[in-house]
Amino acid sequence: MIRRFSRRHIIGHLVMMVTFLGLVVTGFPQKFPAAGWAKGVVLIFGGVSRMRFVHHLLGTIMALQLVYHLLELLWFQWVRRYPATMIPTLQDAEDFLQQIRYNLGLVSNEPQYDRYSWPEKLEYLSLIWGTLLMVATGIMMLYPIRFAHFVPGQIILAAKAAHGGEATLAFLAIITWHSYFVHLKHLNTSMFTGKLPRELYIEEHPKEFARMWSGDVTKPAEVTTQKFLTFVAVTTIVVIACVAFVVWLRAVPMTLKTVSPY
Amino acid sequence: MKKLGVVSVVIFIAAGLAFGESLDCVSCHAVPETLSAAGQALGKTLSNEEVKKLTVNPGGCPTHMNLDCTDCHASIDRFPHPKETHLANPCVACHRDVADQMNNSVHKDPLGGTSFVLQCWDCHGAHNIYPQNDPRSPMYPYNVSKVCLTCHQQRKYLSGVHGQGVDLAGLTGAATCISCHGHHKIRAVKAVGSRTSRRQISFTCGRCHAKIAQEYRKSVHGAALMANDNPDVPTCVDCHQAHQTANPRNPRFRAESPKLCGKCHADVKLMKKYGLSTQVFQTYVADFHGTTAELFEEVTPDQPLNQAVCYDCHGYHNVYRVHDVGQEKINENLLKHCQRCHPGATTKFLSAWTGHYIPSPTKYPWIYYVRLFYKVAIPSIVGFFLLFIASDVYRSRRRKHGGGGAS
Repeated sequence: MIRRFSRRHIIGHLVMMVTFLGLVVTGFPQKFPAAGWAKGVVLIFGGVSRMRFVHHLLGTIMALQLVYHLLELLWFQWVRRYPATMIPTLQDAEDFLQQIRYNLGLVSNEPQYDRYSWPEKLEYLSLIWGTLLMVATGIMMLYPIRFAHFVPGQIILAAKAAHGGEATLAFLAIITWHSYFVHLKHLNTSMFTGKLPRELYIEEHPKEFARMWSGDVTKPAEVTTQKFLTFVAVTTIVVIACVAFVVWLRAVPMTLKTVSPY
Repeated sequence: MKKLGVVSVVIFIAAGLAFGESLDCVSCHAVPETLSAAGQALGKTLSNEEVKKLTVNPGGCPTHMNLDCTDCHASIDRFPHPKETHLANPCVACHRDVADQMNNSVHKDPLGGTSFVLQCWDCHGAHNIYPQNDPRSPMYPYNVSKVCLTCHQQRKYLSGVHGQGVDLAGLTGAATCISCHGHHKIRAVKAVGSRTSRRQISFTCGRCHAKIAQEYRKSVHGAALMANDNPDVPTCVDCHQAHQTANPRNPRFRAESPKLCGKCHADVKLMKKYGLSTQVFQTYVADFHGTTAELFEEVTPDQPLNQAVCYDCHGYHNVYRVHDVGQEKINENLLKHCQRCHPGATTKFLSAWTGHYIPSPTKYPWIYYVRLFYKVAIPSIVGFFLLFIASDVYRSRRRKHGGGGAS
């Protein structure tokens, strides 16, 4: 067994998994309201208002996780100078072509993957992009009046279309791409236990394994006072900006909760 | 002792007969005991039911105090009584006009005589006829439905807003059967000129709901009905139901109302006749308000729904053709409607509702192109995923069975 993920990876994945699945369950009945199963799901929640509340709550958690993750990136990539293993490189394009050729039986040597293979990078970057889009469009739908002050109303409906389309895409990606690579091809539990069996490590990440075996591990940079202070300042600004953003969103007359019968 | 009683009754009756015209019917018919004794004297045993039926309360008929029993029961001129006691309807002798009205109604005598399907006393009572405004009258509002429901199976009236008003709230003003159907001159529901016919119903309802009926007759639905007896437009009862009239302020009415309008407006054949779009219902359900309304209606129909339904924008009874109003006026009205729930809404907000249009490159292009993007992106991306997975599976199976890649 070789350690592949640290505790923060595991917790981050768990939070993302729970919020994602919860958002799928509470979101799709709203996309397909006429379907029978949608009504069944709404009944489980005891009404569409409560289901929507759960959706908004989970969405908020996902949005906070996104902000947290971006700050996390700042810390690990900029302060600690860890290698940026998720950034696509030219090597990934070569690996992709090589993998296709290999799968079709045109060449006999498999691409040798480093810490993250291109399917993993593709999934991670799609997740970041998708979450950004879902959070942005979700906020627009939550505060349509605020956004209609400076964009035409149809942008909110376009945001709704994007929210639904991106959700469908993400859901389908999870049940095809993600399921295949970590459930069907091998049952890879390293995202929960943090550890991957040695044979699997050699098979899936031979380059990284070879480097680790030879002791070639990049040491993180020392935290300098200047960088630390900058990080604290940026974090403070981001937190204040988030709070200010929410205050600004709510600074218009709110939609009434009850409607008079006349 | 019993024998003595019978003898005394017989003597009493004989004495009565001897006095001719001033025969006092009530000497037997007022008291159940004397009545059964008289029956026994004639060799008949009267059951309790029969005794009850034959017992009359002489002082109980305030409207006809001046009539003698024999004015109505003319054939009963002797004792023992002749067999045929009900040859004709005695009421019509005085109430001639009512007889004419009755013979114009569904309850008429098929032969045109006075043996009506529904006789006067079936509704008004026989011996205890009270004025209509007397609570004891069977035709007092509170009692009407009991009389009519004896024959007519429309008990759902009692759970409607009018039936409950009369029956539970004890209102004298709420509609009873006769308020809508009339009384003596009740015509078949669909007969021309009937108070419940399509053309007349708005006037019938309008007797109480005057303002609404006037608004309705000016609306696109009512005007078409008034102009040329349009058979397709809804009348009052098509939306509100004739008997089980729901309270429109009940949450359920609001929740179910989109389907009510959709019954006609999603009917392709019907709408084609008038060149109207049938997409109004599905475009509504696809929108924010409609999605919630749809899920509410199916799952929690009795919860108050705080979403706009058809009539919040189009009006309740004063529905007008949108194109007659003009785009400028529509926008002006729409903003007012939006602001009722979204007080911060501005004119820019209006296009957040596509006005039942399906987005196209010219109308609402932003929505159209975003949808188009995902229509292309989803199948191509997922298709790529599946193709790659297929090639990967192919490779690993070949390796398992054939040992090695290409060579």
